[in-house]
Amino acid sequence: MHEVSLVRSLLEQVDRIVAEQGGRAAVEVRVEIGPLSGVEPLLVKAAFTQFASDCTLIIDEVPLTARCQSCNTAFELENFRFVCPHCDSREISVIRGDAIRLMSVTVDVPEDGDVQQALPTELVSVETGLCTTSERR
Amino acid sequence: MTYRTITIARDVQFAAKQTAAESRERFARQGTLVVNLLSSPGSGKTSLLQATARHWQGRHTMAVLVGDIATDRDAQRLTPLVPAVQLTTGGACHLDLALVQRGWEALAVADVEFLFVENVGNLVCPASHDLGEHLRVIVLSVPEGDDKPAKYPKAFRTSQALVINKTDLLPYVPFSLQQATEDARLIQPQLEMFPVAALHDEGIEAWCAYLERQRERLREAV
Repeated sequence: MHEVSLVRSLLEQVDRIVAEQGGRAAVEVRVEIGPLSGVEPLLVKAAFTQFASDCTLIIDEVPLTARCQSCNTAFELENFRFVCPHCDSREISVIRGDAIRLMSVTVDVPEDGDVQQALPTELVSVETGLCTTSERR
Repeated sequence: MTYRTITIARDVQFAAKQTAAESRERFARQGTLVVNLLSSPGSGKTSLLQATARHWQGRHTMAVLVGDIATDRDAQRLTPLVPAVQLTTGGACHLDLALVQRGWEALAVADVEFLFVENVGNLVCPASHDLGEHLRVIVLSVPEGDDKPAKYPKAFRTSQALVINKTDLLPYVPFSLQQATEDARLIQPQLEMFPVAALHDEGIEAWCAYLERQRERLREAV
């Protein structure tokens, strides 16, 4: 039951992003949870609603995905069998589904908000290098 | 109303994992191998550490940070043998790095070859918290049953060694060492296995030799 402390940490990160964007508040937060994330999605949702009732949390439940180090195939693991289905190798690395990942934050920004505002480098994901902004009205 | 969506795609525990990596690096530089012990309550983590301390008496130095929700009973069992500090979580189901760092300061030992962190008895939450350890070890006792690896995949997947304790009870309870080993290695093929009966100091030599080798490897890598 460490979902509460994880959600607190998640909300601190969200607050920082809102501040960096010069926004008023976060209206939607999207996270990714997999079978080896070590958290229960329902408890994450409950804790989130407790702390941030005005913000929508979207949880994408993703399968546990790994890549075989021998034949380089990426595959979804079933029943936590850490074996490559193609070459039977056990030398595999998990590439998705073993963490709770903050995927995106939608921020309510003032009308004259500067769309081109550069993102601070610390926001760039070390794992994926992903960092983009999009805008909708 | 204008909404802006920022794509992050980052582990929520990213900062915590980075801090843990820095702590791991510091301990490596000072030559201390940090071992995080995970298990269900009552598997014999403290007994294993008592046996380890007896085995190393006068040859190797060790200290223990022992986590529990309440009481300092485990620390009391250990302090006659080695420096030990009780970390009381006050209800929390796992230890975190901040508690470990405070405990290390409270230990006030300048240099120690092995630092054991005895986690709160729980195979779920501690598996998600990097304490800056060099080795994560699961202690599984025979009366718990051989189905634990399959039931707690995260704990087993993120560990490097498995100590199977209370092997002296094997004749009395249904526990297949082979089944436990096979299941555990399906989840983590590199898992090292150490069957021990800590109360009787059985199997402790191989366990200690493994830790000594791991510490040598750590020192060579620095």
